[in-house]
Amino acid sequence: MKFACLLAALALAMAPAPALAHHVEMPALDFTPPPPGSYVLHRIMPAPEGRVLGLDGRPQPLSRYTRGEITLLGFIYTTCVDPQGCPLAYKVFDSLKESIQSTPRLHGKVRFVTLSFDPARDTPEAMRDYAGSRAVDKGKGLRWYFLNVFLIDPAGDVREIYSSMFLHPQTVLNDIETLLIEER
Amino acid sequence: MRHHLAGLAIVILASAAFIVHADETCNSPYIAKLIKGQEDYVYVWTLGVEGLGDGSDKLVTVDVNPKSKRYGKVVNSVSTGARVEAHHMGLTDDRRHLWAGGLADNRIWVFDIATDPAKPKIVQTISDLGDKSGWLGPHTYYAMPGRMLVQALSNTKDKGGQTGMALYNNKGRFIASHAMPTENGGDGYGYDLAVNPKKNVLLTSSFTGFSNYMRPIGELMKDGDAMKKFGATMAVWDLKAMKPTKVFNVPGAPLEIRWSLNPKDNWAITAAALTSKLWLVKLDGNEWTAKEVGTIGDPSQIPLPVDISITRDGKGLWVNTFMDGKTRYFDLTNPEAPKQTYEKVTGKQVNMISQSWDGKRLYITSSLLANWDKGGADNEQFLRGFSWNGKELEQKFEVDFTAEKLGRAHHMKLGAKGLASKE
Repeated sequence: MKFACLLAALALAMAPAPALAHHVEMPALDFTPPPPGSYVLHRIMPAPEGRVLGLDGRPQPLSRYTRGEITLLGFIYTTCVDPQGCPLAYKVFDSLKESIQSTPRLHGKVRFVTLSFDPARDTPEAMRDYAGSRAVDKGKGLRWYFLNVFLIDPAGDVREIYSSMFLHPQTVLNDIETLLIEER
Repeated sequence: MRHHLAGLAIVILASAAFIVHADETCNSPYIAKLIKGQEDYVYVWTLGVEGLGDGSDKLVTVDVNPKSKRYGKVVNSVSTGARVEAHHMGLTDDRRHLWAGGLADNRIWVFDIATDPAKPKIVQTISDLGDKSGWLGPHTYYAMPGRMLVQALSNTKDKGGQTGMALYNNKGRFIASHAMPTENGGDGYGYDLAVNPKKNVLLTSSFTGFSNYMRPIGELMKDGDAMKKFGATMAVWDLKAMKPTKVFNVPGAPLEIRWSLNPKDNWAITAAALTSKLWLVKLDGNEWTAKEVGTIGDPSQIPLPVDISITRDGKGLWVNTFMDGKTRYFDLTNPEAPKQTYEKVTGKQVNMISQSWDGKRLYITSSLLANWDKGGADNEQFLRGFSWNGKELEQKFEVDFTAEKLGRAHHMKLGAKGLASKE
């Protein structure tokens, strides 16, 4: 994992998936994950840092979106060539969103952030479209893709990294619960 | 849950957040950027030989693209300036870096292979494995997302076979250590590791410690007590929890582990070096099982199977046996009953074998361990490239590592010009 300062135009928005996600079947989890709290999520590295430009064009530190709460940070870009992993990741985020919303003890504990880097395509305008597409598929042909997904604790340490090929909401949810147990 | 609806354009980091695939048949499933077409380079991790060239371990780049004017030639060599029994190496998940180490030491060299794939450069030397974990002799480097799981063979305390794994992040910072199981049938030895992500399973095998693998093979074979100090187990781990869940008795030092890459399969195969047997680890119902499924050559002659390479469809397995210099092909259509369908002497001593993704090209090297390699004229040191048409192996080129004053050719990884990228 490299968080070197490569100058790239990135786009940050929140996580919910666009309509594309609904075309993908979520594969069943093919194993019984260890229960939350029964394992350790090591501190892998500090969360990425850098300056981001908002839709309004004002720069802000990325840490504003990765500190103080458990954060699920997904990297996306628009030219992903992986037909399986990217749409699947959307589906996972959708499912997680539903699970968290239906679990009161998780309310206010978790934040979803998606971060896209593609200077040519992922402009603030495109991100506005993306944000708008959460509720309605505007049919603008935007395709958003996930790469690796990072679980970041409130202190800003990356505690798990998920490959989009093997991402499943249950394992992510268990990891979130594990971090919450750790905080008690 | 808070929703950040504001989209932001950014100026910062690009992470190593790449799409992941299985790699050329034998690598971690988390490794990105599969070389599906013609590879351009084979990187050969080479043991230094005193008095030969600079005598140091080195990473040698060989051009293996038949369309290149330098096909079959050495195009680069990076010396470490040390001679520490160079053995294996592994790619990071983003395929930017190649980690390589030696069994006589605890240093791990990190090569940048992305800036110029033809000319790897050492960008970091990790030297805290012993201090942080107590392990000695890093062997397997297995890419995890953003991390590298390193399997060692020995320990710094008594240099025996009790060992474990160390987890580093891709920046080379130590994260955690995990001892090989010594309870419930575990013998504490380690060798290879391989992951089945969809089953959350890590599988490990077992070899022997520094005090054995650094001894001359002839001397070792005569030492009955020392010969008892070889691994005879494989362990199934809960990958997420990094806890062993089951230990199998697999006598004779089970070495390389290859999971079938067929998405429908849930089995892995290994070869036990000292007993010359193939073992299958398979999910039967809800239980992982291990059983002997085949014989490699004549075990009474100790052919010493040292490396295996599985085809991408899980239907075939190449096996190199060091002592008789043979490369064998097993039909794995029924993994419960592998059938040898081909064999050829590919060297006076052969060790590692790697294949291209399409299985049409095979690469073979010669060195096992400095003190275990043959002597005199039998001590050939080479990289040989072969084509495979499904019926016959045909040698296409050879690099004589002695004539080139390079050393003993050991582990290989493939590279491609198209993988060049900036940091």
